[in-house]
Amino acid sequence: MLAYLDAASGSLIVQAIVAGAAGAAVFFKLGWRRITGPFRRRAAAEHDER
Amino acid sequence: MSDLELEPASFRDPASTVAYLDGRVLRGLTKDGAADFDTLAAAPFFAKAMDDGKLVRTTQVPVEDLPQSVRGDAWVRALEHERIPFVSYPYEWTFSMLRDAALVHLDLLLAALDADLTMKDGYAYNLAFVGARPVFIDVGSFERVRPGEPWAGYRQFCQTMLYPLLLQAHKDVRFQPWLRGAVQGIQPQDLAKLFSGTDKLKPGVLKHVSLHGAMDQRYSKSRAQDTQKELKAAGFSTELQKATVAAIRKLVARLEWGRSASEWNDYQKTSTYTDAERELKAAFVARALQGKGARLVFDLGGNDGTYSRVAANHADYVVCADGDDLVLDGLYRSLRQEGNHQILPAYLDLSDPSPALGWRGRERAAFFDRGRPDAVLALALLHHLAITGNVPLAELVDWLTALGGRLVVEFVDPTDPMADRLLANKPPGMHGDYRREVFERLLEARFDVVDRQELPSGTRTLYHATPRR
Repeated sequence: MLAYLDAASGSLIVQAIVAGAAGAAVFFKLGWRRITGPFRRRAAAEHDER
Repeated sequence: MSDLELEPASFRDPASTVAYLDGRVLRGLTKDGAADFDTLAAAPFFAKAMDDGKLVRTTQVPVEDLPQSVRGDAWVRALEHERIPFVSYPYEWTFSMLRDAALVHLDLLLAALDADLTMKDGYAYNLAFVGARPVFIDVGSFERVRPGEPWAGYRQFCQTMLYPLLLQAHKDVRFQPWLRGAVQGIQPQDLAKLFSGTDKLKPGVLKHVSLHGAMDQRYSKSRAQDTQKELKAAGFSTELQKATVAAIRKLVARLEWGRSASEWNDYQKTSTYTDAERELKAAFVARALQGKGARLVFDLGGNDGTYSRVAANHADYVVCADGDDLVLDGLYRSLRQEGNHQILPAYLDLSDPSPALGWRGRERAAFFDRGRPDAVLALALLHHLAITGNVPLAELVDWLTALGGRLVVEFVDPTDPMADRLLANKPPGMHGDYRREVFERLLEARFDVVDRQELPSGTRTLYHATPRR
């Protein structure tokens, strides 16, 4: 579900950093998931996304 | 016959639309919008924010109040809002005004997050001023929070509120021309280019500007929908959204425009008027407005607001417009401290007032199209426009006539030290028609001069004139 504005991906991600330590953890987890994403089973990834 | 008019700036959010009907401000809500409003109306902070004056006073009215032709099938609920006496836009606010407006916005968002609500945008134009009080006017901004999502309005908040503040706080560059140049504000990547070297160490720059600009570039091809899912999967939560907003609030609260904090006091000491002249002028203004029941007064070139304050004793609302933002910022701070809700400081270059802007040039009305004053003060103003701005006297009188109200105007003779100083910057003889006789002839052709007074200096004359119908 999206708001009527284009929230812009970069602007969403940077908010994790702004949120402090707990947010930074989310930020790095996001980065890690992006790196490891291709290695996870494709079917599982698709299940995750849809 | 009802005279309904849709608010030209209220089209971006499909869930909520503002319309004016017989002087009332109404808002139509779709089914989705109504569900969000129900959550808002049930939240304890809603009534409190209205009582505190932070949120525009809002009541539910029968949906039938909106004519069927406008309502269609889409609107299932109607709200009515308190009317803002005169709407000024962020490019007419001073630094402290924008900062205080931003704080009200963030306070409401924090309160909302405690009540399972958030805001769908972060737009400076969702706030207005009633005198020196910032008030959030877009009740349609509140929506039920979706767990795991960051604030969708963060980018817009940066562009129209945080970046303008950082620009002026850290670089002493005025934000108003930029906001006037782009109603969507300053792009992250543009501002990132202006902050270099040690600027990056200043509060807020590294995260909100440099990193934000870099992320913006890096993820420009990513779909926001996918990013939101990924963030949620990585553990983003409403608590984190709250932490983000709290961090921004802490940052905004400590931003200062250094010059405003230091120079205001010096200014009042260097004014060229004597106390006796000031008192005579104040009495003249009071006499002109007393018992006239003026609702709206424009104090053009109002400077430190001395005569706006006099006018406010005899009128409902005064807009103090001036092109010196340092002085206006000081005035705003004083008014805010006093809790004044009657005088609105407006940063405006009168030789280049705000035009109509936005989509089709209709979203943001031109300054002088936003209200018709019952009275206009133009004290110690015309010589600046005539001599420095090269505006012919006839053109100036035309302009004052078009404003439509009664007029209290001061003519400063070419021999006055202030006028002489301005004339010294121009070739001799260039302003040969800048003379009192010429001005009086022009004024009397359009107005009835009901009172006039020469000030003791002998070089300044006040006129109280009413437009000839």
